[in-house]
Amino acid sequence: MKKINKIIFVGLLAVLMGCNDAIDIRQPGRLDAANAFTNVEDLQLGLLGIYAQWDLTPEIALASNFCDEVSIGFDSGGQGLALYGFQLNPASAAGSNFWVRNFAFNNRASILIEAANSLSSEIDAADQAEFNNILAQAHFLRAYANHELLLYFSTDVRDDSTLAAPVIDFVPGLTFQPLRDTTGDLWAYINSDLDLASSLSNVQSDVTFISRDAITAFRARLAMERGDYPTAASLAQGLLNSYPIADRDQYQLMFLDADNTEIIMKLERTPNDPFDGQGATGSVNAGGWAGARFAFVDATLAGSPYFEMDRNVFNMLDPADIRFDVNVAPTSVISGDFDNDPDPVNNDILVIQKYPGSEGQPLMNDLKAFRSSEMLLILAESRAAMGNFSGAAELIQQLRTARFGSAQPLPVYNSMQEAFAGVLDERRVELVFEGHRYKDLKRIGVAAGRGIDRNMIDCLGQGNACTLSADDFRFTLPIPIVEINGNPAIGAEQNPGY
Amino acid sequence: MKLKLTWLLTLFMAFVMQLSFGQEKDITGTVTAASDGLPLPGVTVLIKGTATGTSTDIDGKYSIKAKAGDILVFSFVSMKTTEKTVGSSSTINVAMADDIASLDEVVITGYSTTTKAKSSVSSVRVSSETIENRPNASFVQTLSGQVPGLNITTSSGQPGGNSLVQLRGVGSITGDTEPLFIIDGAPVDQDNFRSLNPQDILSVDVLKDAGATAIYGNRGANGVIVIKTRQGGFNEGLKINYNGFVAYSSLQDDDYDVLGAQDLLRYERSRGNGAGAGNSNSLFNPGNGTPLTDAQIAAAPNFNWTDFFFRTGVTQSHTVSLSSGGENSSQFTSFGFNDTEGILVQSSLKRFNIRSNITGKSSNGKFNYGTNLTLNYSDSGEPNNIGGGAINRNFVLGALQSVPYLTPEDYTNGAALLAPLSFTNTPLFLLDRVETFTRVDEEVRLIGSANFSYALSDWLTANLLMSGDYQAAQNLRAEGPTSFNALLFGGAENPTSGFQQQNNPRTFAYNQVTSLNASKTYGKHSVDVGLYTEYFKTHFRTFGFFQNGLDPRTFSPGDGSGFIPVALDPASGGIIFNDNPNADIINTGLFSYFASADYDYDERFGGSATIRRDASFRFAASNRWATFWSVSGRWNISNEAFMENSVFNNLKLRASWGTAGNQNIAAPVDATEDFFATGSGYGNANSIFLAQIGNRDLQWETTEQVNIGVDFGVWNNRLRGSLDVYERETSDLFQQTPLSATVGFTSQPANTGLLTNRGFDLQLDYDIIQAKNQGDLRVSVGVVANFNETELDELPNSEGEIIGLGRNGGRLGEYFTLRYAGINPANGELLFLTADGDVTENPNADTDRVWLGKNIIPDWNGSFNLNVDYKNFFFTTQWNYVLGVDRFDNDYAGFINEDNVGQFNFSADILRAWTQPGDITDINSPTATNRNTFASTRFLRDASYLRLRFASFGYNFPSKYLENTGISSARVFINGENLFTFTEWRGFDAETRSNGSREFPTPRTISFGFELGI
Repeated sequence: MKKINKIIFVGLLAVLMGCNDAIDIRQPGRLDAANAFTNVEDLQLGLLGIYAQWDLTPEIALASNFCDEVSIGFDSGGQGLALYGFQLNPASAAGSNFWVRNFAFNNRASILIEAANSLSSEIDAADQAEFNNILAQAHFLRAYANHELLLYFSTDVRDDSTLAAPVIDFVPGLTFQPLRDTTGDLWAYINSDLDLASSLSNVQSDVTFISRDAITAFRARLAMERGDYPTAASLAQGLLNSYPIADRDQYQLMFLDADNTEIIMKLERTPNDPFDGQGATGSVNAGGWAGARFAFVDATLAGSPYFEMDRNVFNMLDPADIRFDVNVAPTSVISGDFDNDPDPVNNDILVIQKYPGSEGQPLMNDLKAFRSSEMLLILAESRAAMGNFSGAAELIQQLRTARFGSAQPLPVYNSMQEAFAGVLDERRVELVFEGHRYKDLKRIGVAAGRGIDRNMIDCLGQGNACTLSADDFRFTLPIPIVEINGNPAIGAEQNPGY
Repeated sequence: MKLKLTWLLTLFMAFVMQLSFGQEKDITGTVTAASDGLPLPGVTVLIKGTATGTSTDIDGKYSIKAKAGDILVFSFVSMKTTEKTVGSSSTINVAMADDIASLDEVVITGYSTTTKAKSSVSSVRVSSETIENRPNASFVQTLSGQVPGLNITTSSGQPGGNSLVQLRGVGSITGDTEPLFIIDGAPVDQDNFRSLNPQDILSVDVLKDAGATAIYGNRGANGVIVIKTRQGGFNEGLKINYNGFVAYSSLQDDDYDVLGAQDLLRYERSRGNGAGAGNSNSLFNPGNGTPLTDAQIAAAPNFNWTDFFFRTGVTQSHTVSLSSGGENSSQFTSFGFNDTEGILVQSSLKRFNIRSNITGKSSNGKFNYGTNLTLNYSDSGEPNNIGGGAINRNFVLGALQSVPYLTPEDYTNGAALLAPLSFTNTPLFLLDRVETFTRVDEEVRLIGSANFSYALSDWLTANLLMSGDYQAAQNLRAEGPTSFNALLFGGAENPTSGFQQQNNPRTFAYNQVTSLNASKTYGKHSVDVGLYTEYFKTHFRTFGFFQNGLDPRTFSPGDGSGFIPVALDPASGGIIFNDNPNADIINTGLFSYFASADYDYDERFGGSATIRRDASFRFAASNRWATFWSVSGRWNISNEAFMENSVFNNLKLRASWGTAGNQNIAAPVDATEDFFATGSGYGNANSIFLAQIGNRDLQWETTEQVNIGVDFGVWNNRLRGSLDVYERETSDLFQQTPLSATVGFTSQPANTGLLTNRGFDLQLDYDIIQAKNQGDLRVSVGVVANFNETELDELPNSEGEIIGLGRNGGRLGEYFTLRYAGINPANGELLFLTADGDVTENPNADTDRVWLGKNIIPDWNGSFNLNVDYKNFFFTTQWNYVLGVDRFDNDYAGFINEDNVGQFNFSADILRAWTQPGDITDINSPTATNRNTFASTRFLRDASYLRLRFASFGYNFPSKYLENTGISSARVFINGENLFTFTEWRGFDAETRSNGSREFPTPRTISFGFELGI
């Protein structure tokens, strides 16, 4: 009997320790999907999470590194050399970044849209306006993600039959493996999101959030890309009526994040936010401070600029032009006779200053998503495309006069090619280091007779990669290996040339 | 003292007796083996203290002339030496017992122990003799090469750093691949032994096959390493032991042949870039466009930065232990102190250890208990950013790549390096970091276990084993406010930059095993049965902060006096810096119940079986529980009658089959759950975002292992060894399965695929020269070998291949890349092979890649051993070998990267770079357009090696010298670690299992020490 008691005691000890305490464990701090979005306030916080997916630095990195905006800096540690040498393949960061980032962006927006739609019947009337505005912004963000997929992966965005990216307008299961949809299908998806955004948005203007004006600006840009120039012209003209071109002081302050005259919308960047850091330097994966796409430390000579300004861009900048002051750091070393300089590497150091930093953080600046000068240039390109060459020239003159602070001569365009070339050259200066050059060359480079045009002295020592025609296959990104690994069938739909 | 007195008394008595009865007579007798009663031929019979002796004949008989009172000493290999005092009888028969330590050693199987003969599993014991006094701060490193099938790779020279421990290949892809470590019954963290004192270890048992590990089913899939620490014995006087050594560690040799300053400057001049070309912006010859003249180059300083960042590290280690025992209790206590200086600047380990092991029993012997407690404190300097490319943070980068024309004299302070900011100043950035950066870990580690058993009857015992492993660390990282890095990244806006980060992780792991064990013998049959439950839980907590902004007036690393509160930018009002606290809680747990049964028949046949049910917190409810099992059997052939006169004195055939589980995956602890998180979003506002989409189908990874082995000893164990053939098949592998990015993620953890490891373990020892008498020359040699091949199958996609992982039917981690084919003599461009084998300068980076049949996992590893004893000298060598490891030599890639000109140093190989058409060379033109474009096999190298891993030479003082000194034993020794390496690998350490670069190599160490016993 005594023995049995002891056995019972030991057995009880085992059971009392309990197994569930060890195996029914819920980690603290987890927010269930079911509890994540229960009211409008939650949706607003979710929207702020999706805004944090929106980044322009990969575009800035790709356009500057691959095209003709930068040269290899005197303080280079080898950053971006392959892309500078026009080396682009399915393993490159460019393809994987644009593909993976935008599909994740699309996915997170869809999750929020689905959560919002399931709440739509429970929304109080008092919250309805805010709810609608949240949904408008979510649809806009999703359209933005898909427009990058379209522009970078479709060989021709003006041909509906070409292949673009898969249209994923829902939250798919993890085993989903789609093939590419056509450019026409992806356009339709983008437009449906933008139609919803337009109908739901109830804020006319907002500097750091999506408003009706931002939606209009985005549509203007899309119409231009699409080749629908009349629509582009009318949308751009409308915005130019509300957003004037900045004067010289305003322009300079704009890049210190201290003036918004010209800004239709910009992405706020502030200390401790998810982008407060260097990001991936010399890589399209970028992230981080915009200025860290060109330098490690700050936008001065001592800030370790691994990329400098391409001398051809510099040559286009007149010292009387405020854009010279904005883009060229005063600490730059400028060779008086660059073409004959025996040591151009050390005697001509053109430090890029478009992102000098703000809020006490060097290299960190707000990202200007839509500016009125871009609308002006969209309007000019539209006029050129519609045969109104003098109308295009007037706009270019207007912009240059604002930038110089004195009346500038009226350019003369005798053909569509000349007019496109004039617009493209002005875009190269006005929008330099803002991530447009790659898209611009792809869109009208051939029509304008322009391609990648680097300064010969800059590029000759760097593998002789100096020029590239705008019809080169590399103006469309490859479907990345990371996608083919998870979705083998899409490998058969690789873009030409890769 | 008591023992000594008795011995003296015996001598005295013998002396007296000799006086009384000092008359010689013939003594005869038969010597038999106690175990089987058979006569033992060749037994040495000596009269103690004389050279008079004889040996037994074929029938075990002997005859010797001796006086009454003489002591006859009977000795025989593998038997316990026996002494008999000659009395009045002229016949002395002796039954010699097996020497337990050498032949019939105790074997650990699961939670119980048995004799070697009765064990049916594959396990290997490493005794304290081969662990103690080695100058490795972590005992795990010492096990390297000692156990067939156990691969131990140490990829860092950090004192006490972690080693990769893998038994019989690699059992998982993303899950845990290391064995379970158990110290005195307590499961402990397998990656952290820096605080523990190797000198306390009595034995290490490595359990290899399913029969041995299934009882640890929920954590035993990769083998189990059971560590026992020293104990006192009952009825034993106080013994005091001291071990101490001093060790000197230095960098192993490399074969990169880096340039001296003069060669480098000439090369820079020829390239028109760098100080030699007169256009450097570093502190040496800042450029004016004029190249240096030959005379200026000759006058340039030539400084060796490798010898600056690496140094000779001095180690001292002291351990004092005391053991004693009374009738019903015993104790072992030890104190240890170790101070190891790493060979890399700022790397160090200081530790202090106390251990107290107590055993006791009730006077009737029914109740037994034991407690093992160790308290450890360590303080280690651990430079971080090792292996990285940060020229301002990785000391190893500075040691390898710095230009030799800069010298430490060029350094004044961090501020002076800010402008111009030059990569060439790398060694000075790092010198500044040595002066201004702090990275130390303090750790308190407590491991305690207590076991209780009560004999409910003569066949039934109840047992309870409780154990805890507590680790509390404080990791400190501080960048001084006047440092180059702080000034650089703070900039003018933030003149008081610099940061201090502290993290305090604490983990408590509790384990409890409750069991009932029955043991019965019926004639020649014996049966043991056990029923168990096991409860395991860990509680991980951490908190810390990141302080930005330090006042140089009051800053001191680890102290908060210099902290500056939130600082705002006067212009914008924006936050320049503020402080970030962090905290985390993770709990994990396992619960199991299981049963085991063992059967033996007459030590001729036997077997075991286990079955267990395990639950892990990690899996969603449906897959929480899993069942694992094993069966094993043996046939002790040498115990059969028909083997009586064979050369085999031991021959045993073993076989086992079973399964074990692995739930320790690299994925997040709750990888089955979907959840959102809150935190900084757009504009640094609080936001909600998707954190994880879980996989609700995750389940246990299962390893099924078959093992067939044979243990043998022939010619009286002159040749002995074991051979095991195994196959381990891991199914339901945890892997990151690639997903289409269109679903929002590119991969997810899942159970998919099959990984097989198959091979054999061999251990052979042979006594070339056997000692007839104590002090005679004894020479023995040994081989430890493991061959292992991995094979992947059922990979989760239609191609049956995953880049980075391998392909179906191929080996794990097989390289898939472009094949490099040399340099084009026509233009100096790199050449590659297309997938079809055609030579091209512009391969397709995707479709021209091929599977290479090579990986970084060794095919063969093991050691060759030599032991020599003569008189009181001993000499040991252990040569480790590893074959079939292929690694990318990325350090070499850096040394011939022509784009580094003017910034870093080169291998002399760069001087044979292509310059004109027709040059046949292996170094491309510095302007080759495809030089940075393609990843290829260009730097893939065979990293097989043969290394003198360990050598030891020493002397045991004979007891006659120690009489009247109060010292019972003394020895002195010289040890060497990593003395020579034969390899084609050009880097500092062929052993490093990494395709990284700028890693911290393991050192070469020579130590001197002594041991004293009282």
